[in-house]
Amino acid sequence: MERSRSTAAGRSRVLGIALLAGVLVVGLISHPTTAQQPRSGGTLSYVVSAEPPSFDAHRETTFAMLHPIRPHYNLLVKFDMPNYPKVIGDLAESWAISPDGLTYTFKIRRGVRFHDGSMLTSRDVKASFDKIIFPQGDVVSVRQATYEMVESITASDPNTVVFKVKWRSPSLLLNLASPFNWVYKADLLARDPHWYERNIMGTGPFKFVEYVRGSHWAGVRNENYWMKGRPYLDGYRALFIRSVSAQVAAVRSGQALIEFRGFSPAQRDDIMKALGDKVVVQEGGWICNNLVVFNTKRRPFDDARFRRALTLAIDRWAGSKALSQIAIVGPVGGVMRPGGPFEAPEAELVKLAGYGRDISAARAEAKKLLAEAGVPEGFTFELLNRNIQMPYEFVGIFLIDQWRQVGLNVKHVIKESGPYFADERAGNYDAAVDFTCDFMDEPDVQLHKFTSADRSPANYGQYIDRVLDQLYRELSRERDPARRLRLIRQFEKRALDEKVWQIYVLWWHRIIPHWAKLKGFKMGPAHHLDPDLQDIWLAE
Amino acid sequence: MATTIPLPTVAGFRRQRWLARFVRRYPMGVAGGVVIIVMAVTAALATWLAPSDPLRTDFLAMFVPPGANHLLGTDAFGRDVLSRVIFGARTALLVGFSASFGGATVGAIIGVISAYFGGTMDLIIQRLADILISFPIIILALVIVAILGSGAFNLIVAIALSFVPRIELVVRASALGIRRTAYVEAARAIGAGHWRIIFRHMVPNVVAPYLVMLTSFLGQAILLEASLSFLGLGVTEPTPAWGLMLSGAAVDFVQRAPWMAIFPGLAITFTVLAFNVLGDSLRDALDPRLRT
Amino acid sequence: MTRYVVKRFLLLIPTLLVVAILIFVLIRIVPGDVVELRLVSGGMFVTKGVVEAERARLGLDKPIWNQFADWMLGLVRLDFGTSMWTGAPISHEIAIRLELSLQLAIMSTLIAVALALPLGTIAALRRGTWIDFVVQFFSVAGLATPSFWLGILLILFLLTYFHWLPPLTFTPLWQDPKANLVQLIWPALAVGYRYSAVTTRMTRSALLEVLREDYVRTAWSKGLAERTIVRRHALRNAMLPVVTVIGLEFAFLIGGLVVTEQVFNLNGIGKLFVDAISRRDYTLIQGLMLFVAAGYLLVNFVIDLLYARLDPRISYG
Repeated sequence: MERSRSTAAGRSRVLGIALLAGVLVVGLISHPTTAQQPRSGGTLSYVVSAEPPSFDAHRETTFAMLHPIRPHYNLLVKFDMPNYPKVIGDLAESWAISPDGLTYTFKIRRGVRFHDGSMLTSRDVKASFDKIIFPQGDVVSVRQATYEMVESITASDPNTVVFKVKWRSPSLLLNLASPFNWVYKADLLARDPHWYERNIMGTGPFKFVEYVRGSHWAGVRNENYWMKGRPYLDGYRALFIRSVSAQVAAVRSGQALIEFRGFSPAQRDDIMKALGDKVVVQEGGWICNNLVVFNTKRRPFDDARFRRALTLAIDRWAGSKALSQIAIVGPVGGVMRPGGPFEAPEAELVKLAGYGRDISAARAEAKKLLAEAGVPEGFTFELLNRNIQMPYEFVGIFLIDQWRQVGLNVKHVIKESGPYFADERAGNYDAAVDFTCDFMDEPDVQLHKFTSADRSPANYGQYIDRVLDQLYRELSRERDPARRLRLIRQFEKRALDEKVWQIYVLWWHRIIPHWAKLKGFKMGPAHHLDPDLQDIWLAE
Repeated sequence: MATTIPLPTVAGFRRQRWLARFVRRYPMGVAGGVVIIVMAVTAALATWLAPSDPLRTDFLAMFVPPGANHLLGTDAFGRDVLSRVIFGARTALLVGFSASFGGATVGAIIGVISAYFGGTMDLIIQRLADILISFPIIILALVIVAILGSGAFNLIVAIALSFVPRIELVVRASALGIRRTAYVEAARAIGAGHWRIIFRHMVPNVVAPYLVMLTSFLGQAILLEASLSFLGLGVTEPTPAWGLMLSGAAVDFVQRAPWMAIFPGLAITFTVLAFNVLGDSLRDALDPRLRT
Repeated sequence: MTRYVVKRFLLLIPTLLVVAILIFVLIRIVPGDVVELRLVSGGMFVTKGVVEAERARLGLDKPIWNQFADWMLGLVRLDFGTSMWTGAPISHEIAIRLELSLQLAIMSTLIAVALALPLGTIAALRRGTWIDFVVQFFSVAGLATPSFWLGILLILFLLTYFHWLPPLTFTPLWQDPKANLVQLIWPALAVGYRYSAVTTRMTRSALLEVLREDYVRTAWSKGLAERTIVRRHALRNAMLPVVTVIGLEFAFLIGGLVVTEQVFNLNGIGKLFVDAISRRDYTLIQGLMLFVAAGYLLVNFVIDLLYARLDPRISYG
């Protein structure tokens, strides 16, 4: 007897609903955001601010390859953007999870064809996920580690794929909906597992037309797309523009209708001023943030009292108000995204060091801690930062000003990305502005950075904390949503308040001004999730 | 075309007369020199002359147009553009002078030594210099900055190093001419030491090409610093530097806040112009053959 | 003559070899790591094993001399290797951008010559007058103006007065000449103006020298019209140094392209180079530098030959 679930959220508020949902979700189409009748036709031009390294999503982490290439492919399951974090079927028509949580059975949609006309079967889905989860030889799969609970994938018949897992995992379904899990053709993978790095062959709503390096990527409507009446667009053109001014100019001039990653407040104002009611703006949370990591091998950063003083000195609430006017940051939050399913309720958040509403009390305590730690007035250290103005430099300048107010003299050292990472990795810094950014709200993903330096390649704090490692492990296997939330709070308290290994400054705030005639787009909390362009249409 | 003014020698009174003649014949060069002196004084007194701290940010006064409070407006961080232009003169002159002096001196020394000793070492150095000048100077500097990392000091080293092969070739050519003259041969015959010959006979004779190259480097160094900083590979924020002021927000908001782009660019152009006209006049005065 | 040409050409090979060694050594001491920048710089979840596996795949874990040998063996077979960032062949990466950069370079040169020849000539003929002064100032100012700043001002001008920006994607000249020229004329102006400064000065001084030569004086004394003298005698002879300067300034031009392509968001060699450096794409930087050095050497080789043709007094043994 199998029970099925339609949502994958662990959010306590929706818990009841989630448990009640015993109905299979059958190919739910995302709702159009306006009441207007969608109209077919037109070519969408949009800006992509970086270029795809390879064409194989299984081995990349950048949105720069998702934005232009994703429309050629389908996923097994995907996030329903208007109802994030709900997961809906893409190539999967339906699915069921066994009551013990160890078997996931996906029914694959019939009549789906690759762009070369061949039929998609469960064999293709299995081959694609085998490549992601059990890569062979010199194939690199970036997110392999997030699927370590998967034991085997079998294609029992042409329309069924079964995932057997070793332990109940609360995040597996969300992870399967990763926008990077494109379904490839088994025959092509069998011939050459690297074929997809340089070539395109998918089932997606758009067929590949051309890619001119450094210039643009173009796709044309897949006339044989499995979903009737989709896509609406005749085709699309992704323009690669790195210079921010040129991006804004492209949108202003109408050469592009949107940039799916987002603009800064000043750019939004520029575009709105120039285009008036021809543009609409979508704003919201973003699963990205800026943190500060401390080099715990250096004095006095090895002293938790000093680190605590540093976090206490930051007025996050006032900073949020001021900085959100000028930079793409805003929400105050702990280890999980504010507004997301795992956010810390404000009542708990304000108890953490540096999150209190009374800044003068916090600063007084900070000064006391500094004195206890033997750090003199006017103590000087360097803050390493990345030479990306928005929002890194703004955040850096804000921090320096905050720390000045408790008598610390901080020097801003801004480096190009290459040397910045090299310095972080080598422990060649005092404190550094760091960041995380991912496609889903999930403790497995967001907390990984805090696990010990020998476990996480993105932990530059040089510390070993087995308690956090243990909590992280427990969290990744805990299925009970309420207990998960408790573990997260426990993790948060230890990481941000007791040990203060790394601290959050502010979470990012996403701003997308786009032409009003672009319809059917609902901004999500991650720029990785955005467009497969299936439901987007142009009003004229 | 240009009249040659004899080279200044150590004798003080002759130098004075040389200077007077220079002023008379090259008014443009003198104007350039005056601009540079004004610039240098401004840079030195920046702390007193600048209306506000160039690093002071004010998020309530971003993109303020030029006016009474901020003569040249403010930038994306609400920093006073005038103060940053004034302090930027420091960066420009520091990088310009250090890189040019350093590069020209090291290059000249290598050139003289290479010419004097000759042989395999000379051959290797020459091949190396030939090869190094086959890279556009900005590409060489970009690579060196990438190796050393950004920041003012590394930028100085990078620019200086990319000048070395260029002056080395010129100085070596002049030095080679002297090396073969009778008096150097005679000095060697009577057993004078290598260093004595180099300093007494060869060095004074390469002073002219050295000075000419040096002055032509000054403007170039400032332009290079601006270009590299503009590309994000030179001086880094928050250091006030003209090229840096032109990158990022200045381009992003060129229409909204054109003052951010106009004034630092004018500062670069004026300074380089001043160095160039002074350099041209000096070159004409010192050695018209080196005219390019 | 033929022997000389062949000999000079063959001499390029050892030079390029040394260039290659030098480039390789220089590049490999650039700190930073292409894998880290590709996989970690977006802030996404990545494990240590993946980063190491990628390094191994790119051969970055091999001893340095081994990596050099790989590159050299490839070069012998005219294989420049593949980009560490995109995985595409470097020759392809360069080839698709060459058309734009080459066209921009040629247009800049044409603009420079079109400005320089008349300006330099008139300045020489009217030497010492206000015309001469204005021309000289115009050219000195050109040398002092950063081309990227000129580019920014041009963009500002176009935006403010025409609410217009050059198109964003490159259209080859043979496909749509108008769209192509409309896109490239502005950057070409920004580079060309600066480039013209050197050439104007060269033309002026070369012409001044020629005007003093005996045969030109003879022509004057014969009472020939100024225009005839300038065109028939002086200008032709003054071409020699001008051609040289255009060749020598090739490197200068490339420098101008690096920054100008950035300002105008042009997908050319200069932008590719800056991108390659910021991505620490070692193989691509190597390939590009070798390409630029080879280009410079070749241009100078051709200039030498041109020189020989233009000036019969130079003989080659």
